[in-house]
Amino acid sequence: MEIKLDPRTKIYMIFVVSAIVMMSATTPLLWALRIIMTMVPIMLLVVEKRYASALRFFALYIIAIILIFYFLSAESTGLIKALLTGYCGIVAQFSPAFITAWYVIHSTKIDEFMSAMQKMHVPDGVTISLAVVMRFFPTIKEEYGSIRDAMKMRGISFAGGNAVKMVEYRLIPLLFSCVNIGDELSAAAITRGLGGKIKRSSVVELKLGVLDYALIFLFTCATIVFLFQKYIKP
Amino acid sequence: MKNIIEINNVSFHYKGSDEGLLNNVSLSIAQGETVLLCGASGSGKTTIIRLINGLIPHYYPGELSGSVNVAGHDIKNTELYDLAGVVGTVFQNPRSQFFSVDTDGEIVFGPENIGLAPKEIKNRAAAVIEEMNLKKLMGRSLFELSGGEKQKIACGSVSALLPNIILLDEPSSNLDWGAIEELKKEIKRWKSEGKTIIISEHRLWYLKDVLDRVIYMDNGNIAGEYTGKEFFAFSDSKIKELKLRPVKIEEKFMSKFSSLSHESVNKQEPTDVDSIELKNFYFSYEKRPYIFRKKKLTGADGDILSLNIQELNLPKGTVTGITGKNGTGKSTFLRCLCGLEKDCKGEIISGDKIYKGKSLIKISYMVMQDVNHQLFTDSVEAEVLLSMQEENKAKCTEILDSLGLLEFKDKHPMALSGGQKQRVAIASAIAAGAKLLLFDEPTSGLDYLHMEKVASLLKELANSGSTVLVSTHDPELIELCCDYVLQIDEGKVAGLEKI
Repeated sequence: MEIKLDPRTKIYMIFVVSAIVMMSATTPLLWALRIIMTMVPIMLLVVEKRYASALRFFALYIIAIILIFYFLSAESTGLIKALLTGYCGIVAQFSPAFITAWYVIHSTKIDEFMSAMQKMHVPDGVTISLAVVMRFFPTIKEEYGSIRDAMKMRGISFAGGNAVKMVEYRLIPLLFSCVNIGDELSAAAITRGLGGKIKRSSVVELKLGVLDYALIFLFTCATIVFLFQKYIKP
Repeated sequence: MKNIIEINNVSFHYKGSDEGLLNNVSLSIAQGETVLLCGASGSGKTTIIRLINGLIPHYYPGELSGSVNVAGHDIKNTELYDLAGVVGTVFQNPRSQFFSVDTDGEIVFGPENIGLAPKEIKNRAAAVIEEMNLKKLMGRSLFELSGGEKQKIACGSVSALLPNIILLDEPSSNLDWGAIEELKKEIKRWKSEGKTIIISEHRLWYLKDVLDRVIYMDNGNIAGEYTGKEFFAFSDSKIKELKLRPVKIEEKFMSKFSSLSHESVNKQEPTDVDSIELKNFYFSYEKRPYIFRKKKLTGADGDILSLNIQELNLPKGTVTGITGKNGTGKSTFLRCLCGLEKDCKGEIISGDKIYKGKSLIKISYMVMQDVNHQLFTDSVEAEVLLSMQEENKAKCTEILDSLGLLEFKDKHPMALSGGQKQRVAIASAIAAGAKLLLFDEPTSGLDYLHMEKVASLLKELANSGSTVLVSTHDPELIELCCDYVLQIDEGKVAGLEKI
C-alpha cells in the first residue's frame, strides 16, 4: 500500500500538532485526542515502511503515557519519581510534534516541498532558502564524517579532554568546507537560471486527495473539540 | 562560419586576488567549434569560462574592461538567468554542483527555473534521459551516486536547458577511467548536435580526436593557438616545454587502468627488497545482525566483502600506485590500512613487529583527497606539534624545513595553497611517526608542474624510508614516481607489478 500525502497536508499537521501539544491536557478526553493525533504520524511512518523508527517512537511515547497514568501523580515524592515526572512530561508533551516533523522530513522530496510552497504563494526567496537548508543536511553529514575520520587518524578525537578544543577541531574544518561547497553550489545553481524574475514552474503536480481531506478534517475537528473542551465548557 | 562568442580586448582582475587575471585577451569562437583551453593553474582558463557564462562580472566581482558578446548577448548588461538557456556549464566538483537531493529533481531543475510549462519540461527530461542513457540513475539520491554518475547527471541537467554553448570546467578532475570514457562520449554527442563546446582541462589524453582548436594560456595571455591535429602531434618535449600534462600515454601505463582479465592474477611480489606483509584484510559495508560479538569476517564470506585480501607483500621504502575503478575498494583498502574501519581485523607485519587494530592508526597516515578536512589548528607549527606525543620544537622545525614549509610556520594552514596544505598534512603525519603514508588521489585537478612536485615529494618520502601508497587515476603520476603498481578489482588484488 502506498499513500502519498500532499505536502500542504503535512505542513498543516505539523502546525496543528505543535499547537495542541503546547496546551496541557487535563481531562481523559483531551488526553485521548492527543494520543490519537500522535498515532496518526506513527501509522504513516509504518506505511512509509520505516518500521524501526515507528516502533521506537511508539515505545517511547507509550511508556511515557503509561508511567504518567499509573505510576506518577501530583502526590509523587522522591528523586526518582521527580526525574521520571520530568522525563515523561517532556516526552508526552513534545514527542508528538517531533514525530510529525520527523515523518514529514523523511517522506517529502525537495521538489514536492517547493511546489507546495509555490501553491501557497510563499515568495520564491523563502522557498529556495528552505530548500537549500534541506539540501545541506546530508552534505554536512558527509563532511562531518570525513572530519571525524581525520581526527581519529591524528588521535585527537578527544583533544586531550579539552572540550573547547574538541568543538573547535570539528567546527573549523566543517565551516571551511561548507562555505566552499555553498559558494560552488550557488554558482552552479545560478548558471542554470535560479533567481530569475520569471515565476518558477514545477513538474510536480500537487492535488489534494481523499486522504488529504480526511486528515485535514480529522485534525481540524480534533483541534476544535480540544479548544472547546478546554476553554469554553469548563 | 558565424562567430557565436566574441571576446574583445578583455582585461580582468579579481577583487582581492592576483591569481587568474586576464591581460587584454581577444578570442572568437565559431558556432559548432570544440575548443580546448589549456595551461597551468592560475593561467586564466577558468576566468575565460566564467566570462562566457556570465559568472564574471555578475557573481565574481573584479575590474573588467573590454567587451564580451555571447550569442548576441552583451554579457555585462545581461542578467545571469537570461543566459541559462544559452550557455550551460559543467563544473569540476561533482559534489557541489547539484541543487536537488534526488536525480529526477536535478534534471528538471534548470527548466523549472526558467518557468517552462510542466509538460514541456517532462518531454525534455524524457528526451535527455533517453539520449544519455540515464534511466538506471533515475529515482535515486544524488548522495549515493559515485563521482562519475554525479557528473553524468550534471551533464544531463545542463542538456535539459538545451543551451547552444556548453562549457566544461575541468570536468574530468574527479573521474575514473570508465567515467572519463562516458564523458568523452557525451562531448562527442554534443559535438554531433552542432553545439559549441569549450573545455578547460589539465588531463589531455582523452580529448584526442574531439578538438577543433586548442588555446594555450599563460599568465593571463593567449600564448598559443593550434588546431587539434597539430596539438596532438606535438612531441613530448614540446608538451613538457609548455608545462602541460602529456597528450599521449604509453600503452604500458594505460593498461594499468583499463579493465582487467580476471583469470590471470599477475602478482609479482617483491623479492629483492624488504617488504611489509599484510594479512587478513577483510571488510564489508553490509551490516550483519549480531547479539553480543560480531563474527569476524573471513575470506569465506565471499560476495559481501568489499575488501578481500588474505595476504599481500608490499615493497618497503618505495612508492606503490593503486589503480582500479571507483567503488572497487581502493578507498576501502586505504581506510582499513590506516585503522579507520574497526571491523577490519587485518594485521600489518613489518620486520618483527605486528600492528593491528588501534596500532594501525599509529604507524599509518592517510592524506585525504580533500586535505581541508584534516587541518585543525591556527598555525602550521601548531598543526605539527599537535601530532607529537611530546612537543619537540626542534624536531618540528626540522620536519618543516625538510618539506620546505619553514617560512610558513606561523601562517594559518587554511591560507596556504592546495599543495602547501598537502605538505602540512604530510608534516603532521611524519611528526606522528607514521611509517606507512597513504595518499588518496593527491593529483586530481592538478596541472603538470604541481603534479611533478607531488611526484618528487612522494619519491623523497620513500627514499627517506617511508612506504608510500598512492591511489590514482592518473597514468601520468604512475609514470613519474611509482615503483610498483597494485591493481584492485572488486576488493581483490588483481595484480602487483614492478614498473
